[in-house]
Amino acid sequence: MVDLIRTVLQKGQIEQTLIDQYARETAEIVGKDNVSVNRADLLSTCRDYWPVNNVWMVEGAVPALPQLVVWPQHTSEVSRLLALANAKKIPVTPFGEGSGALGGVVPLKGGITLDLKRINKIRFIDHENLMVTVDCGMNGALYEEELNRAGYTGGHFPQSLRCSTVGGWLSCRAAGQFSTRYGKIEDMVVSLEAVLPDGTVFSGRSVPRTATGPRVDHLMLGSEGTLGIITSATLRIWPLPEKRHLASYTFEQLEDGLEAIRLFMRAGTRPAVVRLYDAQETGNHFPELGDKRFALILLIEGSAKIVDAETSVIEDCVMGQGGLDEGVEHVEHWLEKRFNIGVASMLFQKGAVLDTIEVTTNWHNAHSTYLAMQQALLAVEGTMLASGHYSHVYPEGAALYVTTVGFPGDHKLAYYKKLWQAAMEAAITGGAAISHHHGVGLHRGLWMAEEHGSGMDVLRKIKAAFDPHGIMNPGKLGLEEVREWQK
Amino acid sequence: MAEVNMEQLLNCALCPNMCRNECPVLQILGREAVAPSGKARISAMIKEGHLAWDEAMLEATSNCLGCRGCTIHCPFPELNLCDELLFTRLTAKADGVGLPACEPYLNNLKKYSSPYGQKTGVVVKPDQGAEVLIFNGCTSLANNPASIEAVRSLLNRAGVSYQMIDEDCCGYPAEVWGDKELARQLAAENNRKFTESGAKKLIINCPECWSTFTRRYPDWDQQVPLEIIDGPTFFLQLIRDGHLQPTQSGLPDEKIDSGKKMVSYHDPCIWARTAEKTEQPPEILQSIPGITVQEPFTSGACTRCCGGGSMFQLSFPRTASAIARRRLEEFPEGAVLVTACPFCREGLFQDGRPVLELVELLDRACQ
Repeated sequence: MVDLIRTVLQKGQIEQTLIDQYARETAEIVGKDNVSVNRADLLSTCRDYWPVNNVWMVEGAVPALPQLVVWPQHTSEVSRLLALANAKKIPVTPFGEGSGALGGVVPLKGGITLDLKRINKIRFIDHENLMVTVDCGMNGALYEEELNRAGYTGGHFPQSLRCSTVGGWLSCRAAGQFSTRYGKIEDMVVSLEAVLPDGTVFSGRSVPRTATGPRVDHLMLGSEGTLGIITSATLRIWPLPEKRHLASYTFEQLEDGLEAIRLFMRAGTRPAVVRLYDAQETGNHFPELGDKRFALILLIEGSAKIVDAETSVIEDCVMGQGGLDEGVEHVEHWLEKRFNIGVASMLFQKGAVLDTIEVTTNWHNAHSTYLAMQQALLAVEGTMLASGHYSHVYPEGAALYVTTVGFPGDHKLAYYKKLWQAAMEAAITGGAAISHHHGVGLHRGLWMAEEHGSGMDVLRKIKAAFDPHGIMNPGKLGLEEVREWQK
Repeated sequence: MAEVNMEQLLNCALCPNMCRNECPVLQILGREAVAPSGKARISAMIKEGHLAWDEAMLEATSNCLGCRGCTIHCPFPELNLCDELLFTRLTAKADGVGLPACEPYLNNLKKYSSPYGQKTGVVVKPDQGAEVLIFNGCTSLANNPASIEAVRSLLNRAGVSYQMIDEDCCGYPAEVWGDKELARQLAAENNRKFTESGAKKLIINCPECWSTFTRRYPDWDQQVPLEIIDGPTFFLQLIRDGHLQPTQSGLPDEKIDSGKKMVSYHDPCIWARTAEKTEQPPEILQSIPGITVQEPFTSGACTRCCGGGSMFQLSFPRTASAIARRRLEEFPEGAVLVTACPFCREGLFQDGRPVLELVELLDRACQ
């Protein structure tokens, strides 16, 4: 009995007769087995891994409920489903594997949730041109597994690899742990196929580069389902690396580690993994290194001769900044544990609120932003820990990934909001971009205007052009106010 | 009496699930409600009184093969989601909710002590003096009597005195379908027959039965009165002791592609992950001359389910078949598939591809 379930953020629903009519017509398109109004399906697709969803769940509440769940199996079906919804002005929320951390799949206005997991095949591996065309609903780990079996890697290893889809990566501009060598997901995109709300299917050309005006398909990157639905992508792939070199170092100061990284990136090396931890996280992740120094772990892979050359350059830069060689076992340990996030569930049951906030800095403000965010988070009453590491690096700067744990008693939601307010203010003041790879979803929309400035109006105009009826994933990307959440 | 461990159930419900790629049901159905955390959340909310059972919720939470693929990457060592879902589902019957698709099989269990109906493949070999009692399991009896003949042949060849009784279903299907009392009755009747047999050792070739005898009977207050030995361990010991001596490949020539006698072994999930019997079958295969063993893409403790766990072939036949086809893609072309579970044999036996139970291959190899 769904009426027992409290919906916290629901902003209305569509008239039931309209939904019933849509359901009948939809069944003609996708078959009745691919349409559901049962509670099990509505409840399971109404949320993602946004921490406040867990707060609500244990209280018997959900953020909002869809009125219908549909599973398309082909791009052509997505096209017909969207066109039909657009004609009836029914909201549509795309859903992948639900690993988003910011409420991006919450169906605020009810309507239809499109679960895209049945569009889940690798369509084609282009061996000569090193590209793969893959469906949006394919699980990340299975995508990588299938590429591995063909002798390739996709190079994309987010912590959510096993619980996210290719479409989710593209929609949120995701980053993998090996991004310094292989790039963020947007760097891997050759072309996209997408469907607009009116049913138009379009795709870019799968050529290395073009000079034929803006890449319209690339506009869909990071749009989080607000402009349309990405149904497949042609992505770059790489032959499985011939050699992998692991190394770890510690530094006396965090700034020394940052400088070493800046120098080896400036020198042109591109190790796959570069992670620099503050002293607290060094102690947490690598207890044998203690919590007084700052650990850097590196993974360099590719052709053997290139790996050897990169290793040599990197060693010079690291040693020049006083780095101490700590061996390979810490990297092996990290490789083994890198997908383990069970601590969040366990701490939650002990009353904690745990969240991670990632921002992007340049080199000149990489350290100061870390200090400012840590200080701001610790100043929020209830915070017990605010630590950080630099998780992805570029020639221009680095992503800063902050983890915070607090015990706010019965005021979890109020605490959560204060925490984010403090972190975002510190990041914006310090000149950082407010997200590196988790995206915006519902929650981070609160700071989108500050992030984009006048660019936010441009984004709204693009939204209006693509989705004039505003049916696509309402309330996300900060494109409209969500007062139920803001108040 | 096993109760739902709410802390462990919530660990899963609160987790984004790094196991999703290893849940065969989720990967086939693509339906969020059958994701490990989807099932855990429904179960937790029912357990906490926020939701009441309906058929769709029972169907979603029943969509678990019990394969424990979700444990491969699970960060919670004490979590056994399959059990937590099983225990939660037992409350559905009290709320008057059941799965109509399972009713005919439950009725068979009540009437014939087998989910498959009248026991057609019953093999009784009374021998009060024999200390070894062979439990074949209702699936082998119903679907693959040849495997039972292979067991008999191997035991005779090895000079082992043994008994076979008019066995009843181990009871696990009854619990899977929500009738714990029926499960307990079947267990009690089996235990009565075990005691009457005078045997000392119970040899089990069906991993579902093995799991039920070792893990579920104690929970039903029905401790098995015999020493329980799994089939792979038992037959390997006969080889090691020299009582069985494979002398040929045992592969039927007409089923061999290109003359290659290549075998690929499918690890049944219960033997591999619950019983941790991942070394015995390969050692048995290594003892057989003239064959080449090639592993599928996933094997050992990381094996992927055939789709036959938790009575799926009866409860959800379309899903079971789709999962089996997905698993079949992991095997090398041209290999004869060998497994050690009657459900796996049934599941993988698609499109006419040869599938043998390990005892069948071993028996042929010893002739």
